[in-house]
Amino acid sequence: MHVSSIQRQERPQGPWQKFKRLKRGYFSFVFLCLLILTSCFAELLFNSKAIMVQYQGELYWPIFSSTLEGKQFGLEYEYETNYRQLKKMWAEDNNDPSNFVLLPLVPFNATEVDLEDGFYPPQPPSALSQHYLGTDTIGRDVLVRLVYGFRIAIFFAITLLIVEYFFGVLVGCFMGFLGGAFDLFFQRIIEIWSNIPFLYIVMIMSSLITPGFWSLVFIMALFGWMSMTWYMRSASYKEANRDYVLAAKMMGASNFRIIYKHIIPNSISTIITFIPFSVAGGITALTALDFLSFGLPAPAPSWGELLRQGVDNLDSPWIISSVVISLSFVLMLVTFIGEAIREVFDPKHKIYYE
Amino acid sequence: MMKKIISTLKFIPILILSVKLAVAATLPNDLVWQTNTTSLEWGSADAQKGGLLRLNISSFPPTLRTVGPDSNNSFRSFLLDNQMSLVDMHPNSGEVIPMLASHWAYDKDGKTVYYKIKKNARWSDGLPVTADDFLFALEFNRSKDIVAPWYNKHFSEEITDVVKFDSHTLAIVGARIKPKKDLHYYYSLQPRAKHFHKLNQQWVSAFNWKIEPNTGPYKITKIRKGKSIKFKRKFDWWAQDEQFIRNRFNVDNVLIKVVRDPNTAFKYFERGELDVFNLTLPKLWHEKANGPMFQKGFIHKLSFYNQVEQGASGLFLNLDNQLLQDINVRKAIAHGLNFDKIIQQLLRNDYQRLPRFHTGYGKYSNDKVNPLGFDLKQAGAYLDAAGWNNKDQRGIRVKDKNRLSFTISYGNKLHEPQIIVLAEEAKKAGIELKPQYLESTSFYKNVIEKKHDIAWLGWSTGFRPAYWQHFHSDNAHKPQTNNVTNLSDAIIDRLINQYRESSKEQERILLAQELESKIAAQVVFIPSTMVPFTRSGFWRWLKLPENIATKSSQSLFNPFHPTQGGLFWIDAKSKIDSLSAKRSGKGFKTSTIINSDFKVIAP
Repeated sequence: MHVSSIQRQERPQGPWQKFKRLKRGYFSFVFLCLLILTSCFAELLFNSKAIMVQYQGELYWPIFSSTLEGKQFGLEYEYETNYRQLKKMWAEDNNDPSNFVLLPLVPFNATEVDLEDGFYPPQPPSALSQHYLGTDTIGRDVLVRLVYGFRIAIFFAITLLIVEYFFGVLVGCFMGFLGGAFDLFFQRIIEIWSNIPFLYIVMIMSSLITPGFWSLVFIMALFGWMSMTWYMRSASYKEANRDYVLAAKMMGASNFRIIYKHIIPNSISTIITFIPFSVAGGITALTALDFLSFGLPAPAPSWGELLRQGVDNLDSPWIISSVVISLSFVLMLVTFIGEAIREVFDPKHKIYYE
Repeated sequence: MMKKIISTLKFIPILILSVKLAVAATLPNDLVWQTNTTSLEWGSADAQKGGLLRLNISSFPPTLRTVGPDSNNSFRSFLLDNQMSLVDMHPNSGEVIPMLASHWAYDKDGKTVYYKIKKNARWSDGLPVTADDFLFALEFNRSKDIVAPWYNKHFSEEITDVVKFDSHTLAIVGARIKPKKDLHYYYSLQPRAKHFHKLNQQWVSAFNWKIEPNTGPYKITKIRKGKSIKFKRKFDWWAQDEQFIRNRFNVDNVLIKVVRDPNTAFKYFERGELDVFNLTLPKLWHEKANGPMFQKGFIHKLSFYNQVEQGASGLFLNLDNQLLQDINVRKAIAHGLNFDKIIQQLLRNDYQRLPRFHTGYGKYSNDKVNPLGFDLKQAGAYLDAAGWNNKDQRGIRVKDKNRLSFTISYGNKLHEPQIIVLAEEAKKAGIELKPQYLESTSFYKNVIEKKHDIAWLGWSTGFRPAYWQHFHSDNAHKPQTNNVTNLSDAIIDRLINQYRESSKEQERILLAQELESKIAAQVVFIPSTMVPFTRSGFWRWLKLPENIATKSSQSLFNPFHPTQGGLFWIDAKSKIDSLSAKRSGKGFKTSTIINSDFKVIAP
């Protein structure tokens, strides 16, 4: 009687509704999505190319077109136009008032070196120079490198997650579902494989080849797919003996079909709960590798590389503080999301007393 | 049984050697013995003995051996500097000066030098240095037991023989004819204490941590593994009153501490736990070295222009790369590299552009050879001439579906900023340079196997320009040789052969100059920057001679080097005064000295 009244109060909810009600996790999720979405369009906000230029009555869209040389806009040089200079030049001395340059929010790109005589990098933050978080030791904009570095890190983490989970879930499910010799064999393989010191292997590999985005995903997935297998093994082990699986078996469904149509959808909560923590793991792993300079090659924008610079130049605190704050903030968002998801799928909420 | 056979076999070569010696050991009658007592000394008569000098290194040496596995570490120079040679070169005038040998004479054959070892020369354990130690040094360096293939090869192919005439007279026979003065350098041999070493297969492990007897001013007295190594001055050192050595090597103890992180090391220095600190890096000199200890005059700053051979550092273009085979492309790259920007805006105008492959070799350097400067118009003209007329979407030149793109490999993160700036600037010329960092050993492997497009590296210096190893076709298109550009040019080959075979100094100088301009014209090497000075910060109790250092000094406070080292001393009274002033918060006059006595004014 008492229990049923509680049930009436809590309307039956899907996981999404439950998740939405957990404000901290939900807002973190929305915010992170916004960050990722913004970073996808970073070229429009953080770029040395102008968004739009009007010159002698004609419109140009430098970001969307191929390289526009200086002579296109009446300058003397034959390489890519420096739009900041162009804007400054036209502002000071404009023969044709219809000429104008529309620059992005921060008019620098991630690899561009902004050096000036007498001012040696790193330069402190300044709104005047439009380096809102200062420059790094080579004179590149810290904010821009943070943004592009974030994009690389988050997509790296997501790609890594997809690859790892694909193999981890597949192998784990088969281990749990098939059992027997297959299970035993893979258990031993995974135990041995897990004991290989991952960091050393990555260091050795990246000293032999110059790592790129995909080769790093490959190397890290090679040593990261095992963690999911144990959870999926026990999940499918449990599900394998349920009636609906036996029914599917009886109807002649193949092993693949049973796993993909029945077992995985029923143990999806296990997978989803781990996703945020894997994303956080992916970001920190890439940052750590870049920090040790075994990650993505220069001049790719990277948080690890900024962290390294920050540690080496503690007397230029804007470098270390920018990257540490951003890193902690993103990891915090991901962790809040993770906690909320765990809460949503917490089996305690599913227990009904009769 | 088997073991016995091997050990008897081992004796055979030694037996042969001794038979040969018994026959050959008579001195030619017509030798003209030479010595040098007239060159100026460079130690200061004001120097006081005593005190402790504290220096730092970044890692503890993996071994105390000076040859064999792991021996080529940064600590080795401390050990090698304490081993004297038979003769050396005067650090200012370049004349030959006596060291272990008092006299020397040249054979008519143009490749043999005779030496008389000083009778008072002693090892650190008190035993005399004799000709046998030199015979043993040759045997030692040729032995497979030291596991040092380069040494084995060098001392078998370059030095043909060492001949003993009596206990203190010997001759060193080189493989090729050289000008007289050059013989000392090319065929130099440092003695090894015969009574100390036992050559066998265990030598490498057995002698890892043994302190080898030396002939120089200091010996190791205390080792704290992983932490520090202490050298003590030999109070009864045989050479301390010898000409060219007296008034030098004044400090009683030298403590070399391990401090892994350079930032931490600098903090130690500012706290007075290290006496000197190298301030060559612009950031250190201009920014970090301005703290209160500098302002209050406790730490002095000194920059000293020197005239030393400059290592050939820069970009090496691999001619095995199809695109780089076109000289117009190479010239365009040279014109597309903005070294001026690096020097002005990154290196604070401290460094200078390296003019050519061999710089600082006196008359052997060809001062007329200068690098191609940053010039986008010229670069464009060369690329047009080579048929790279079109540009792709990113502004990079294209030709027959090829992009004008090269990887630029490097093995040291310190150079990354410069490479990134160069790559950014080169885009303006329509050339894409992709930086590729490789961990130092794999970088070395990559370059020596000639798998690079463009490599950013520097070669160490020698006594005379060395063309054969870097530019002769004998070494092109082969792995494990130093011709990393794969240059093979018949005219250059011919000149190099003449240069190597000539024993006349004037002829060699002319050949070297001609070679330098011929090689520069090929644009396979694009010089980067050089540092024509050494600069340090030091606590005020350290004193230097009036002239500060020598023309060839690479460091102001080298404690052991036979010719450049040990010029400074510690003023005990000044140290007491300084420390009490520091405690009471007083200060002295700030001191920053820039000495340009040996500065070469750029043409």
